[in-house]
Amino acid sequence: MRRVSVDIGGTFTDCFLVWDDKYVAAKALTTHQNLALGFNASLTQAYGQLGLSLEDVMADVDSVRYATTLGTNALIERRGPVVGLITTAGFESTVPLSRGRGYGEGLSERMRKDLPMAERPEPIVPIPLITGVRERMAQNGEIIMALDEDDLRAQVHRLVDRGAQAFVVSLVNSVVNPAHELRVEEVIREEYPEHMLGSAPILLAHKVVGRKGEYARTSSAILDAFLHKAMYLGLSSLELNLRENGHQRPMQVVHNSGGMAQLNSTDALQTIHSGPVAGIAASEHLAAETDLGNIVCTDMGGTSFDIGLVVEGGIKFYDYNPVIERWMVNIPMVHLVTLGAGGGSIARFDRLRQTVAVGPQSAGSDPGPACYDKGGREASVTDADLLLGYLRTDNYAGGRIVLNEKRAASVIRRTLGEALGTDTIAAAKLVKQRVDNDMANGIAQELRARGYEPSQFTMLAYGGNGALHACGIASAIGITRVLVPPFSSVFSAVGAGNMDQLHIHEKSLYLQIYDSVTRSLLSRFEGFNAIVAELEAKGRADLLRQGFAETDIEHRLEVDMRYGNQLAQTAVVVGRNRIGNSDELLELIDVFGRDYGKRYGEGSQSPEAGIRINTVRVASYVTTPKLRFADILPPEDSLHGAPEAEAVRPCHFVGVEGPIETAFHTLEKLALGAVVTGPAVVISQSTTFLVEPGWRLSVGRYGAGWLQRNEPGSGGAQ
Amino acid sequence: MSTVNTNVSEFLQDATLFLAPDPEIMNNHGFAPRTPLEERCMAKESDPARLAIVRERLMAGANESFEMLENMGAAPGAKWGDCVSAMFTAAGDLSLASTGGVVIFVNLVQYPIKFINRYWAKDPSVGIREGDAFLVNDAHYGQAHNTDQSLMMPVFWEGEHVAWVGATVHEGENGAIEPGGMPSIAEQVWDEGLRMPPFRVAENYRLRRDIVTFLQNSVREPKLQYADMKVKMYTCRRLEQRIHEAIHEFGLEAVVSCLRRNLEDTDAEVRRRLMEWPDGTTRHSWWTDGTLRENALIKINLAVTKKGETLTFDYRGSSPEFSNRANNTLDITLKGMLSQLMLAYVWPDLPRNQAVLNSVKFLFDEHSIMRPAPSAPISQCMMSVFTSWSVAQVSVMKFLYSVPSKYTRVIAPWYCMINTFLFGGITQHGEMVGNVCADINGMGGGALADRDGQHSCAPIFATMADLGEQEFMEEEMPFVQLVSKKLMRDNQGFGRQRGGMGYQMMLALRDSPAWGFMLTAIGSKFPNVPGLFGGYGCPTYPLARVRGVDVFEAMKTDPGRFRFSIAEMMNERPFDDAEYSTHPMSLPYALASRGELYMIAQGAGGGFGDPLERDPADVMRDYEEDLISPDVAWRIYRVVFDRQTRIVDEAATAQARDTVRQERLAGAMSYDAFCARHVTPEPPANLPYYGSWGDPGTIYGGGPDRCFPAGHANSPVVMPNPMQVKIEALEKQIAELKGAAK
Repeated sequence: MRRVSVDIGGTFTDCFLVWDDKYVAAKALTTHQNLALGFNASLTQAYGQLGLSLEDVMADVDSVRYATTLGTNALIERRGPVVGLITTAGFESTVPLSRGRGYGEGLSERMRKDLPMAERPEPIVPIPLITGVRERMAQNGEIIMALDEDDLRAQVHRLVDRGAQAFVVSLVNSVVNPAHELRVEEVIREEYPEHMLGSAPILLAHKVVGRKGEYARTSSAILDAFLHKAMYLGLSSLELNLRENGHQRPMQVVHNSGGMAQLNSTDALQTIHSGPVAGIAASEHLAAETDLGNIVCTDMGGTSFDIGLVVEGGIKFYDYNPVIERWMVNIPMVHLVTLGAGGGSIARFDRLRQTVAVGPQSAGSDPGPACYDKGGREASVTDADLLLGYLRTDNYAGGRIVLNEKRAASVIRRTLGEALGTDTIAAAKLVKQRVDNDMANGIAQELRARGYEPSQFTMLAYGGNGALHACGIASAIGITRVLVPPFSSVFSAVGAGNMDQLHIHEKSLYLQIYDSVTRSLLSRFEGFNAIVAELEAKGRADLLRQGFAETDIEHRLEVDMRYGNQLAQTAVVVGRNRIGNSDELLELIDVFGRDYGKRYGEGSQSPEAGIRINTVRVASYVTTPKLRFADILPPEDSLHGAPEAEAVRPCHFVGVEGPIETAFHTLEKLALGAVVTGPAVVISQSTTFLVEPGWRLSVGRYGAGWLQRNEPGSGGAQ
Repeated sequence: MSTVNTNVSEFLQDATLFLAPDPEIMNNHGFAPRTPLEERCMAKESDPARLAIVRERLMAGANESFEMLENMGAAPGAKWGDCVSAMFTAAGDLSLASTGGVVIFVNLVQYPIKFINRYWAKDPSVGIREGDAFLVNDAHYGQAHNTDQSLMMPVFWEGEHVAWVGATVHEGENGAIEPGGMPSIAEQVWDEGLRMPPFRVAENYRLRRDIVTFLQNSVREPKLQYADMKVKMYTCRRLEQRIHEAIHEFGLEAVVSCLRRNLEDTDAEVRRRLMEWPDGTTRHSWWTDGTLRENALIKINLAVTKKGETLTFDYRGSSPEFSNRANNTLDITLKGMLSQLMLAYVWPDLPRNQAVLNSVKFLFDEHSIMRPAPSAPISQCMMSVFTSWSVAQVSVMKFLYSVPSKYTRVIAPWYCMINTFLFGGITQHGEMVGNVCADINGMGGGALADRDGQHSCAPIFATMADLGEQEFMEEEMPFVQLVSKKLMRDNQGFGRQRGGMGYQMMLALRDSPAWGFMLTAIGSKFPNVPGLFGGYGCPTYPLARVRGVDVFEAMKTDPGRFRFSIAEMMNERPFDDAEYSTHPMSLPYALASRGELYMIAQGAGGGFGDPLERDPADVMRDYEEDLISPDVAWRIYRVVFDRQTRIVDEAATAQARDTVRQERLAGAMSYDAFCARHVTPEPPANLPYYGSWGDPGTIYGGGPDRCFPAGHANSPVVMPNPMQVKIEALEKQIAELKGAAK
């Protein structure tokens, strides 16, 4: 297998090159003015390590895959066209009001509770660019009011006069009957034909999202329209760059649904958060290859802590109303939770509780933690880590940042120690303890809310600070095994290299499969199966368009089910692609009941209130060859004691009085299978492993580290 | 105590006919003294850092359970955020509420828990055991109103009772005289539907089907009653599970100590913060304009005094109770609402527990609209408690303005009324339902000193509440919001910074064999909220109706006639034979015909500062967004601009504004002169006036000829049945006509 995968982040462009049995990682600064430059730089680094040429690589790799934060950046910087929104008359304020709660979407709990400070984000479509057209469709698809085309033409002209460069058309109940949306598109084209220079792109909401919910669907379509141009220009220039360098195959773009597709089969919205999602995909593959069982993926960087879940049995966790920046949308996205906790998170004195609180505010990278010596005046997690002895002042971030220990001590003493009445070390310990517990709580909440116990999971820790805090986090919630994965500093790029071709199509419906009033089960399945067939056809068309053989295409059928009129919708993998009789229906009800019981408690099921299917979802995919990671864990027979420490220095640990003499190692100097017993610090080019007392680290391949908590009485703990 | 006295006491206790709400419990909003268990645990576990970690662990459990409640709940209230879950100490004090949801609900759950602790725990016929669950909805025992239902579960550890957990949902339907759980025509408490004191509904973690069946049989939505009891019970089980896990991990001492410290730490912090406020008194009065059955001017009187570390809300001088109207509230409901005021609008960083009111005192007149007799209905308590809340918001903001250490911003009053439809009938799926629309959450935010208020943003009683999606609503319900979310022009609390505006709604029944609507809001004649520091209050709002037409037929046959705004519909009257009318927003439940239109608007938040100081560019932005008319731009804001180019004439604007200021000065008079001209010794005879006029010790009960000392029930306010009044007036007319004919 020969393959290139790339994750273009805000700061770095990560590259992962697979060349037969060789795996190589590289990193370069992201070049925002021309992403191709950063890509070329990182790729050059990568193939240089193997003594290859650019021409060799470009000509021979089977695919080049991208995960990118380009869309997120465009959204934050508000780089996009002037979008005009055409909606149903009487619903003009649906988007500006954002279901009321839009003031708090994407904000911390603290901000959500503060109603005087409530403020919705700067709109992407300002009110003057929203217009209502006279039409109305009923919930069952009947036309209540026919589309008034004269009115429509006048409204379109008005939007153009106001500067609209793109149109979003989102009409009420269009997912049930899209006739009016389709006609609006025709009318706009009649008024502004495509061959004219002034022609603007038109995006119909029912084509972006197949589910009900007029606000979230419109919001999704708006973001899609807003990001379309920036994403297209950015990604197509990358594709051109590939062609110029000799790669003749279409570029593959990673989707936040957990799959990938060619550029011509990708919505802009599907690329948002694709980097972190690729990390989860890599974790899933790694877990399967190494028999890790259930895993919780964690990515701890400078400002945030991402959590994702991968459990056995093929259960997928999606968010169906994810929030992108500050907007709720309704595209299916791999479930990911972000907490405001990272190395730069600010620690402060909590007067109410007379202790330390951490985050969600962050010192960011500028000025960064106080120890960066760039003007930061507030204590951060990194400052505490430095004072506790885990970080070296001269080789932080590969030596790129020189840390100032005195500065760290000064701010911790001033902002925490004095208020707490403790010395700086005690205050730093409280910071470490608090941030580890906050992250542990986040994990516990994620798992327990879905019916899982943390102790059943292995934690994957990646990101710049993952290996440093992994033991602390895991200890706080009873996790005993942590894998710092191979190539952890470019892990999302690794994930991009493992994606399958995947397209998801959905449709809303109101289908009572058990009517508790009449006590009757659904007995006619033609309508349901016809919808499934329709969605399969859409997915098939997507994949055929990209050149895949029909025989390689597979479909996975999921339905969202609920009891009675609940809001909760449990996504159930049906396990077959059609329902043909009552037994198969009862089987589905049984699966739903078990999933529901696992999540909300056995016995909480309420079939007595009736059972409904609200959404049909078909994932159509083609499986592609995967990377081999089966051998990354050190084999039992390779385990051996680590060589003598390169240095021994005093470090401080939570729960331990006074400093402990701690061994320091360099990862690259440790052989496969070397076992380092805590307390120890192992430094690599990209991260620092903190092996806390009671833990041990076994060195795996490609920089992987296998952290295990010693069994009580095993003698490993100190 | 002598043997004789003991015997008498025991006899009286044994011979108690009925366990009514216990005044000793209901009159104490502070938290209980430390129990022996708490003393024991706190002596062993006091490390603040460790307790903070325990707290975060419990908090995560509370938030998880809230998410469950919101997701699993079948009531519209649960789906759109009108619910909450929480952990309580074993004594029943609210220690830790979920971050989302309605804090007033759980603030009130302390009372039924304390009732259970006092009466049922030791009663051999009841008792409390692990796996029990108790249900309550009667507000007199501690709920906001009877439409809410709370389920409570004791938490045991190794046989010892160590905590309580609870979950509350605004359920809606409760079998009252009108569907939806909030009857406005209730004249006595027995019209208000289910009246459940706290009673056991589950044993050994199983709902008792006989009791569930009884309750289902008593309401219009048996499916909802069943499903949501189960939801609340499993929410409580999840809370219990998380407490057990925390005990297992950190020890009983840490968990009990944490729950207790949460209260004591919050109380200490509140006292510290109150010490930052200047000592003094602020006063504010406001009026509601009806009982939902008739128009009336009903006074809410408040003086807030801060002295040392104590804050006192003195509501004496407010309206007397209405013996047969549902607009009374209970003082506990108001206290619960004021905890929301302090936790969301003053100190949003504080933990959500009941200690925020521990250093707050309250003064009410007995038999006032806030302390009515037990027999007085209260199902529409929002009509008085929300206004009382807004009055408090103004009074507290006046203090905050002078406090250097703020934990959020000074804000003009949030709109405070539930301008929304209740409904009941048979759906297109053949189910009988009765409930309320999520538009209850569409209240406009108040303005700040330097920022306009947020349009229809959140109800005063909850954060992150949800207006929902109409497509889902229409899927389940047989009516259609033809205009659903459209901000209404000129519906604004004017000011230097304007309040957030409300949207208009036009709806019609489409597909049901039997369906009705009702509307329970005040503020059609007297605005519901004032502005702040010179800003205007909200406008007044009518219910507008168009009857004698089927708009669905009209939209098919002659769609050009339909108008997508209330103003156009009512001013242009496009349907020839239809009947157009406006009413107070207090429509008793009435059957609807297919296609007739019901129209209302959500309310606006108050403005901040003098409108003449508003930046003309902001005025023009509102004009550009069609939020105000040219008339308002001129009449209120005095902005001169070219209608064609929309360019502001700065000089003419300054001149126009200066002219108004000069006119104001010309019309000014001294305070004494003002009083001499306007102050009268008693309310006008033609005004149905309720409450004090000047002296808070004298209360008027409908006019100058009906006044009595505050706090006395010797002159109950009983209102005639409006229908009877109408009949009598018609009979009189008939008699006169007959007389004339003779």
